[in-house]
Amino acid sequence: MHNVYALYKCRVLRIYDLTDDVKLFLFRFENPSIAESWTFVPGQFVQLSIPGVGEVPISICSSPMKRGFFELCIKKAGRVTSKIFDLKPGDSVGVRGPYGNGFPVKDFEENDLLLIAAGIGMAPLRSVFMYALDNRWKFGNITVINSARYGKRLLFQKELEAMRDVAEAENIRIIQTVTRDPDWPGRIGRAQEHIKYANTRPDKSYVCVCGPPQIYNDVFNKLIEHGYDPKKIYVTLERRMKCGVGKCGHCIAGSSTFLKYICIDGPVFGYYDIISTPGLI
Amino acid sequence: MRYVKIKDEKVYEFLEGLKNYGKLYAPVKISDKFYDRKEIDDVKKIAFDYIRTIMPAKKFFIPPKEEMFEIDIENGEYKEKLEEVEPFVLFGMHPCEIVALRILDGIYMDEYADIYYTRRRKAGIIIGLSCLPDEYCFCNLRRTDFVDIGFDLFFHELPDGYLIRVGSPNGHKIIDENLDLFAEVNQQDIDAFREFEEKRQRMFRCYGSFDNIRYLLELTMQDKLWDEESEKCFGCGNCTNTCPTCRCYDVQDIPNIDGKTGKRIRFWDSCQFRSHGLVAGGHNFRPTKKDRFLNRYICKNSYFYPLGTSYCVGCGNCTYFCPANIDFLGNLLKVRSTAEEVKNA
Repeated sequence: MHNVYALYKCRVLRIYDLTDDVKLFLFRFENPSIAESWTFVPGQFVQLSIPGVGEVPISICSSPMKRGFFELCIKKAGRVTSKIFDLKPGDSVGVRGPYGNGFPVKDFEENDLLLIAAGIGMAPLRSVFMYALDNRWKFGNITVINSARYGKRLLFQKELEAMRDVAEAENIRIIQTVTRDPDWPGRIGRAQEHIKYANTRPDKSYVCVCGPPQIYNDVFNKLIEHGYDPKKIYVTLERRMKCGVGKCGHCIAGSSTFLKYICIDGPVFGYYDIISTPGLI
Repeated sequence: MRYVKIKDEKVYEFLEGLKNYGKLYAPVKISDKFYDRKEIDDVKKIAFDYIRTIMPAKKFFIPPKEEMFEIDIENGEYKEKLEEVEPFVLFGMHPCEIVALRILDGIYMDEYADIYYTRRRKAGIIIGLSCLPDEYCFCNLRRTDFVDIGFDLFFHELPDGYLIRVGSPNGHKIIDENLDLFAEVNQQDIDAFREFEEKRQRMFRCYGSFDNIRYLLELTMQDKLWDEESEKCFGCGNCTNTCPTCRCYDVQDIPNIDGKTGKRIRFWDSCQFRSHGLVAGGHNFRPTKKDRFLNRYICKNSYFYPLGTSYCVGCGNCTYFCPANIDFLGNLLKVRSTAEEVKNA
């Protein structure tokens, strides 16, 4: 019998600094057959272990079309992630997964796609974005709204900025905005204030939102005000997860009529799940 | 279903014989007030009239603490650690605990089956025993007062022995291998069985259905009842430890003193602890005692759909063992009805 908690050894190939406390790690499975067969859906996460330190759930931020490799965008926040920051290329870690439901990307096809990220929320949405770029012909117009407090905290700011002009010609709009940075030369304001600049057609769009729990209600209200279909709004949530497979109970959320394990029933939930369930956000 | 009867004078011989099928565990009296499941040497010490044990039967399948992996820190490898699992027999399981195990099965043996749990579950033989409720029991409201699946044998008390229901191939095998201990069930036994069930049904603290309780609970989450009740709570976690379906666990990597090796262990956790909802960076999804207090009510009263029952099986352990005397059923009754007599009950 297979042990669901068994870890596959992965090597760190490259490490990029994204901001002062966020790094992007590129991994490859050591076992070539796993490296070739392993795949995931954007929005899913993995459990990453540093031997002798512990395990953390991290969203995958690369595209599943890039077989054999995957990228994790990690913020230095706790005991384990601090150790992850000490990793160097060539070091090995344990990985299991992918877990969670992921975004319903098949449903997104033939529609416009609006991605709204605040802060570290860009990490799981980058996976959706990269997937959409890899399958460009399947999607309509695409807009990415990337927001943060300060310019230097914008994740993937350089990557997105570099592709901006080319992307615009391909009907992909990139909007990067900050809320509290007087030195920032670009757009100012919260993510929801820039929904009006998106190139997506409200009646033909799927929307993915990820950010700190406080932003969701404002973003939802603005989206509905602009005519986006609430049925087509998805968010991805974060919780403490120890197992990733619906056992350990830490990520249980919701109410007595809608009790969910975020790790297997989520982390992606629809708008109506969110508003009908106290405690999800 | 197959039914046989065992007479009182043959029961100890049968229990002695159960040791051939594995280590025998059964409830024994451990102090004036409490019972616990212990390995049985002398079968005469088994307590047939116990109502609840200090630890639920989940401890046989999810130990309070277990090692999952051995870690080779130098080479960055986790090696699966599977202990030898010997066959064992749990005698004297009440219906609520049998349903509780089936709830745990649904969680631990789903598509992501937990190997540690599954191996123990497959090694265990479950023998049920009929019971009479005390003032803490409300399995009737949870529809878990009678089980028709989830056991190998089930003993129903008769005036002169036990009526046994056979619930699994293992159960049939045990009966067939000890055929001379059993008799056929006659009309008198059927009448006695019916009488026992009727008497039992009359003994519960309250009656009705709890099927709507999860909606009522959701609608009354803002009530001041929850402020008052959570204020009494010590946050000790006794309720979750003694709950037969509470299954939260935490995982830690513990390095050995040499720094080169270590182990990954898991151990029971409780949603009543502050650390349960805490994530890196300091955000807590259940920051207040009231959040944590309500979380248990929410979780226990929601439905486990594969079984069509709530996660709570109505055993009453959480109330019985609560050092702050918080009445779980009492609070739910207040949610279900605003009638004065219920409020003051």
